[in-house]
Formats: sequence, structure tokens, C-alpha cells
Amino acid sequence: MFFPEAMTEVELIVPSKDLLAVTKVLGNHGVFHQIDSTYLGLENLGPNTWQEKAASYSTLERRIQVIMQNLNLPEKYSGTSDFDSIADLEPLQSAVDRIESEAKQTSDQLTAEKKILEQLESQLHQLEPIADTNVDVGALRKSRYLYSVIGIMPADQVSRLETSLSRVPHTFFTLREDPKRPVVWLLGPRSNSDIIERAVKSAYLNPLTLPEEFEGTPAEISTSLRKAIETSKQKISELNGALAKLADTHKQELYQLLWDVHASRMIADAIARFGQLRHTYVVVGWVPSAELEPLTQRLKQASREILIEAIPIERSGHHSNVPVALRNPGLLSPFELLVNTYARPRYEEIDPTILIAVTFPLLYGAMFGDVGHGLVLAAIGWFLSRKSSLGGLLVACGLSGTIFGFIFGSIFGFEEILPHHPFFGRFVLIQPMHNILQILGIAIGTGIVLLTFGYLLNLYNAVRARDWGRFFFDSNGLAGLIFHWSFLLIFASALLPGFPIPTIVFVILAVLSVLLCVVFSEPLKHWMEGHYPLIEGSIGIFIVQAAAELLEKVISVFSNTMSYVRVGAFAIVHAGFTGAVFVIARLLSGGEEAGFVYWAVVVFGNLFVIGLEAFIVAIQTMRLHYYEFFSKFFTGGGSAYEPLTLANVQEK
Amino acid sequence: MAGGVTDYAAISARVRAKSADLLTPQEMARLSEAPDFLSLFNSLKNTAYGPYLEGLKDKEINSRRVITQIKRKLADSYYSVIQMTPVQTRPLVKQLYRYFEIINLKAVLRGIVTVSAWNAEIALWDRVREVLFPLGPASVLPAQAMVESGSVATAVDLLQGTPYEEALSFAMKRYSAEQNLFPLEVALDLSYWRRLWAEAKKLTGSDREHGVRIIGSLLDMNNLMWAIRYRVYHKLSEEEIINYTLPVGYRVQDSDIRAIAAGADIASVITRLYPGIPDVNALLENPQTGLPKLEILLKRQILKQCQAAFVGSPFHIGIPLAFLVMSDLEVQDLIVLIEAKSSELPDDEYRPFLLKTDLLS
Repeated sequence: MFFPEAMTEVELIVPSKDLLAVTKVLGNHGVFHQIDSTYLGLENLGPNTWQEKAASYSTLERRIQVIMQNLNLPEKYSGTSDFDSIADLEPLQSAVDRIESEAKQTSDQLTAEKKILEQLESQLHQLEPIADTNVDVGALRKSRYLYSVIGIMPADQVSRLETSLSRVPHTFFTLREDPKRPVVWLLGPRSNSDIIERAVKSAYLNPLTLPEEFEGTPAEISTSLRKAIETSKQKISELNGALAKLADTHKQELYQLLWDVHASRMIADAIARFGQLRHTYVVVGWVPSAELEPLTQRLKQASREILIEAIPIERSGHHSNVPVALRNPGLLSPFELLVNTYARPRYEEIDPTILIAVTFPLLYGAMFGDVGHGLVLAAIGWFLSRKSSLGGLLVACGLSGTIFGFIFGSIFGFEEILPHHPFFGRFVLIQPMHNILQILGIAIGTGIVLLTFGYLLNLYNAVRARDWGRFFFDSNGLAGLIFHWSFLLIFASALLPGFPIPTIVFVILAVLSVLLCVVFSEPLKHWMEGHYPLIEGSIGIFIVQAAAELLEKVISVFSNTMSYVRVGAFAIVHAGFTGAVFVIARLLSGGEEAGFVYWAVVVFGNLFVIGLEAFIVAIQTMRLHYYEFFSKFFTGGGSAYEPLTLANVQEK
Repeated sequence: MAGGVTDYAAISARVRAKSADLLTPQEMARLSEAPDFLSLFNSLKNTAYGPYLEGLKDKEINSRRVITQIKRKLADSYYSVIQMTPVQTRPLVKQLYRYFEIINLKAVLRGIVTVSAWNAEIALWDRVREVLFPLGPASVLPAQAMVESGSVATAVDLLQGTPYEEALSFAMKRYSAEQNLFPLEVALDLSYWRRLWAEAKKLTGSDREHGVRIIGSLLDMNNLMWAIRYRVYHKLSEEEIINYTLPVGYRVQDSDIRAIAAGADIASVITRLYPGIPDVNALLENPQTGLPKLEILLKRQILKQCQAAFVGSPFHIGIPLAFLVMSDLEVQDLIVLIEAKSSELPDDEYRPFLLKTDLLS
């Protein structure tokens, strides 16, 4: 729970004869994260035949899908046949060839006829706007002085075409308005035909193309076109009938073919990523250590001669290539979502889900401390939890707000009820509006504790990764921690009378530590890692960079710490906000603390405060975690655990 | 304002946190000082690109593979920003992301034409796939099927129902007649930028102000470079240049584009629009080398515009947009570096084309 699930690297040497059985076990078990191990194979065996097979199955699958599309058949698989063996390509191909050739001729004829119909309809459609014009279209084409273009163009381009012809005399009509494809008529002097032609072409105006056989006025051409359309529709109907017959004949066979090809492709795809030796295959991947034993047993049942080498991966060192499986209890899933939104943890580092499950509601509750508001939020969360994992987050935050409500003595903004209650009064420890300085001090104190905890977690991560450069000289490492505390203690010793240690001690510590963790951090890390040159790039750039980072570090230590003031500030704002609701309620009810208006304002005011603050506080809490807390120890960037699953191929 | 706060509080915090991962000018300068490609690759592993590069095996470490992995980080950034963007501004970010799909679509079409030209018998899907931006499931392009179709017309037919169908349907007639991808590519560009601009104009309040500023600046650069290139390289006529450009932008107006199209002095138009760009005349003396440098100078203006978006109220679309544009420009810088180091170019040949290191001076 505190770390990603322990993983074991598994290397299998599989005899060629057991290849399919082993692949089937790996796929069905659903825990094996396969990695491409083709590089482990022998290169002199020639091209990877499984890759070729996978490509062939893939092509065949697409061909079947196209046939089914052409025959108007829904894409589905036949029956529940298992894939004990990969289907032979040749019979499948010849079956597909046979059906395809039967369907292709009719289907091609249908496509061609549909295109003809589309063209005829388009021509008729284009003629409609000028149907009443008593002009011989053919004669227009042959005009001696006038250059004329009728056609369709993109609506977006119309104004641009007119602009482009602004220096040429022309007349432009939109014959048919259309939001996308208007029909337009452009006329200009034939002497400018070259300019007009270039403009027409570059504006994507597609001139109306009437076949030579259509002569006369638009009305006469329309009549001829309608006749041709009727004939074309008749042909299409006949061809559709022929295809329906074909579909009925080949339906079952196509479903079966699709399943065989699809399952075979899935297996071939997986095997294509195995390393191929002369008589064996090398399969490499990752398995959660807890799942290793059952998987091993099943593999041995599938192949007696299989060799299994398992290398458990310790969490020390860098393991960027190990897939990361987070296994937190279901209750923590909303917090895991928060962590993953920031980044997926790396294998060797702490999974901060459990930490955030404590700190997120804690900080949220402190900023949203009100018994009533907290319970309302928890109730909303409970309602939402059936639909979204964020509901659980709201429940936790709401309950935390309720607890802080008891501590702050606030219920629906009433600040005097709980403190004077004989039973609940004993839980009221501090009232934000009456103890402003104390509450801000506690907030900063909490921040210092959390930030220090963040530094310690970073140190722990560095130790586990055996990254000693990071441990000592990272800006969030040991030197960084010393600098942070020295910086704070400079203020404490200067401001608090009678502080036992003189300020100068902390000043010296701060200067020394900041030199180590910022200015010389990179060279020192390089030195510890034996990486030369110690300074990459020129000295000038190093100095400029060091100065900028130094400034940033000093500012960030200050701002990181002071950032937590917002926790106290929001607790005070919450009380102030609800106080304002009561003032408005009293004003609107004529100074009375009773009556419909008073209570209506109180209820709606509370709802407004809940809505507004619930969201703003969530953002602030996220900010405190993402910016201040996580940045101290959490690197992220782990790769996802995606086990191989062939079993659900049928469902897919 | 309350709407802006509630809509943008989470994304603003997240994007600011992510923007800390962007390379600083100092880091970029340090990377550029890597003596060779392998050192550059190792230095990149210590940056936010590290997790994307660590999985590469020794034999996969080549410039093309490394560039693909680097682009993956950009794709992830887009994906996460789109997920977090408020509903009313999400279409704009999605449309911005489509830029990479347009690039992929052009690559696919070029791939098909190249194969046809070579009269090769085998499909080159694997080769085309290598140069595609890794959009993953976000893409609506049936790229493999298009490449395997072997013909531009069939490939374009496969785009039915996608946002590119309409633009290409008009341009295909010209392609059929001219057998040249130019009209298709211009149609795709114009359609993309029109849609993007329309999405930016749909926004309201400070979203609109910042959206128009950033998108408009991108559009300015493209529109200006199109107009100049069409005139200088392609020697197109005034009416063609006007039709192949757009009448909108943030700083560059239609009158500027029309002036260039009509033959006005390009240097004086640019100097008037961007007084901060020095020696435009000198740049244009040799367009072959000058125009790419001019483009870099315009990109630096965009970079500054994006950096400015982070100042002031954080509750608007400007910050996510600026972050994505800056991430893209950073990837472009890295591609320059990777290509330069892998082809062992001398420093002075590629350094002028780095965007970020200029910020150090």
C-alpha cells in the first residue's frame, strides 16, 4: 500500500511446439505485462515470420470487414469457438478471395452507379437556381465577349474570391444560398479570362460540368437529368437486391472467418514481440510477485519443457522501465486518482496515496470547518459515490470538515450554539474569528511539519534509490532540509526574545547549506556519480543559472512555508462569510432574527457558502499538495502496468 | 469572474505545475552544448523528457525514434489539458490539437504519392508511421487504411465523416486535374485555421481576449509566411495569393496581406507590423536562408506573447493555450537540436534556428 506492487521480471524460454499453449496461458491469466523481446532473438533467422503473419491476419481482417460493410452485415463474431491453434492462413485467404470476388463485381457496379447518380443529382441540384432562366447554357459557354463560370464553391471562400477580383470588372451572383456549398455565377470580360480563371481555381470554385449530351435551356436539361436519375435508381435497387442475396448466403461463413482471423491476429501480435531463437522463443515481461506462483504452475502445465527465470526487482536503484501497479484498497481510489492526476509513481518511490488520504481531508476540513456544511458535503459525496469515485473524496472531506466544525464550534455558521452547549461545548478548542493570530500560527506550524515530512520522504526515496547525490545535495535533500530550517530559525531567533542560540549560527548554516543544495548541487551530484565534466556548458551559463536558482530557492522556501497560511485564512474567511450571511438576513428582515425572509436568506446564504467554499477549498488543498508537498519528494513518471489479455477478445 | 475562477482554478494550478517542466533557456543552452547526438540524448534523459526516452533500447537510439518519443510528451500534455479544459473552451483546444492531425494527413498523402511515384509494390505504412505525430486514439484519420489504399482519391474517400471531408471534396477536383498535392494541402491549412479562428471568436470575456491574442498571433505568423512564400518562391499572382491566405488575424490585417499580394515592399510591411524585428531588408536579400530566419523571429514573438499570458489573472484559457504553444515550440527546438547533432552540423548552422536560447541574450 505504501509502495507500488512488487514486480518480478520473468523470462521464459518456450519450446516452439508449446508456443501457442504458453501464449494462451499468458493471455488468459491476464497478469503478464509483455515487453518487446524481439531484440533477444537471433537476427540471422531471417525476418520475423510472426510479424508477417500478424500483418497478413490484419490485412485479411480488414478485407473481411470491408466485405461485411459492402454486404450491409453487422460486424460480429460467430459462436464461442476457442483458439486452440492459430488458424491456417491459406484456407482463410482462399475463402475470403472467393466471397470477395463474388461480392466485388456487384459491389463495384453498385459503387459506380451510386457515383453516377450522385453526379446527376448534383447537376440537377446546381441547375435548380437557374431553372427559370431562359438562356441556352451551351451558348453562354461559347460567348465571344463574356467569360462566365457557374459552379459550387466552399462558402468560406466566397468573400475571399470577391476580394481577389477587386481589381477586375466582374459580376458575382449567388444562385443558391447554402451554408457550406453555395452555387455561384461569375461573369467578367473575356479579355480578363486568365485572371478570372486563376481566381476561380485558387478559390476552389468547381465549375458546373454538364455532359455534352445535355443541351438547351436549364429547364430542358433538368427534364433530361430527371429521366437519367430514374434509370440510375432502378439499377441501384436491382444491385442492392443481388447483394442482399449474397449476404444471406455468406453470413455465417463470414462471422466464423472474422472470429478465426481476429483471434489468430491477436495471438500473432503477441508472439511477434517474442524473441525467436532456433528452436525456442524468449518471452520477457513483468508479473506482480504475488501472481508469479499461480502463473508459473499454469505455464508448467501448458509446457513441461518451459524454462522460467524470475528476477524479483528490489525497490532500490532506478527502475524506470518497471511497470507500476498500484494496489490500494477501493476506499482510497479517489485519492489514487488525485495522485495519478499529478503523475504515476515510479516503481522505487513511495506511493503517496495513503499519505494524501490523510493530509487531503485534514487540510480540507481545517479550511471548511463547519459541522453542518461538512455533513451536507458528506451527504452529497455519499450520493455521488455510486456514480463517481470523487464521491468518496467528498465524503472524507465532508466528515473532516464536520470534525473541524466541532473543534471550531461552528454549525451552519452559528458560532455561539456549540461553544455553549453542555455536551458539545467540551469539543470546541479554538474559534477562528476570536483567535486569528493563533489559527494562522497553527496553520504555518502544520505547513512546516508537512514540508519537513516531505523532505524526509525525499531522503527516504533517495536512500532506497541509492541516489546519494540526491540524498545530500538535492534542493529537497539533506542540505535543502538544513537550509529550510536554518532559514526559518533565522527569523525565530531574531524575533523571539531569549532564543537560546544566536542568529549568526543559523545564518552560517543557511549560507553553507544553500551553497551545497543550490549553487554547487549539480557539480557535487556529478562528482558523486563519477560523471564528468562536473559542470556542463560554460562557466558563464553556470553562474547565471546558479544565481537564478539561488533566488528561486530562497523565494520558494519562504513562499512554500507561508503558503500554508491559507489553511488558517480560509478557516477565518469561512466564519466571516457565514457571519455576513446573518448580517444580510437581519438587514432584509428589518432587524429581526426571525421570520420567513430571515430564514430564507440564512438557508440560501449557507447553500451559497457551501457551493463556493467547497470548490475553492478543494482547489487550495490540491494546490498545497501538488505545489508544496509533492514537489518535495514525489518525482512520478512511472510507466503503466498493462497486462496481456486475450481472454476478453470475444467481449471486445 | 466567479465562473472563470471555478472553471480555471484546477487547470490553472495544474498547467502552472506542468509548465515548471518546460526547459529553461539555460537548460536549452546546456543541451545545445552537447558534443554529439548521444550526449544530447543522455542529457535529455535528465529532463522532463526522461521518462519518454528511458524505455528506448540501444539499437533504437536514432534521431527519428527520439523525436517520436519527445513528441509523445507533447501529445500527453495536449491530452491532459483537453481533459481539464472547461466545456465552453474545450473545442478551441481540441481544434488547436488538430494541427498535428493536419500534419499527419499531409504526411499520409505525401506517402501515398511517393509510393505511387516509385511504383513500389509494397505498402510503406511502416515508413509513414514513423513520421506521424503520435496522436493515438485522439486521431480520426484511418491512416493505415489510407496509406494501404495506394491512391489519393481512395484515401480521401476514407475521410468521410471527418472534419477534412468538406475541405478536400472541393480540392480533389484540382488534384485530379493537376496531380499535385499543393491544392489539397492549402485547402487543409485554410480550413484548419478558419475553424480555429472561428472557435476563438466564439469565446466570451477574458477567454476571448486571451484566446484571440494567442491564436491570432499564430495565425499572423502563418498568414504572413504564406503570403511571402507564395509571392517569393511560388511566384503566384495577386488573386491566387489572396485566395490562399486568410483575411483575419491579431496584428496582421487583410490589408497587409493584400499589400504583399499586390507587390508592396515586403520588408516595409514587416517592419511596420513588427518594429522589434531588426534588419528585415537584410533577411529578405537572400530568401532561401532569410525566410526561415524570419519565421524563427516571428515564432519568438509568439513565445513572448505566450509568456505574457502567465502574468495577471490566471482564470482564463490563455494559460493552457500558452502552455501548449510553448510546449510545441520547445519540441520544435529539440527537433532542430536532435537533427543538428545527429547530422553533425556545425554550431553556427543550427543555433540561429533555436527559439529559446535567444531569450538568454
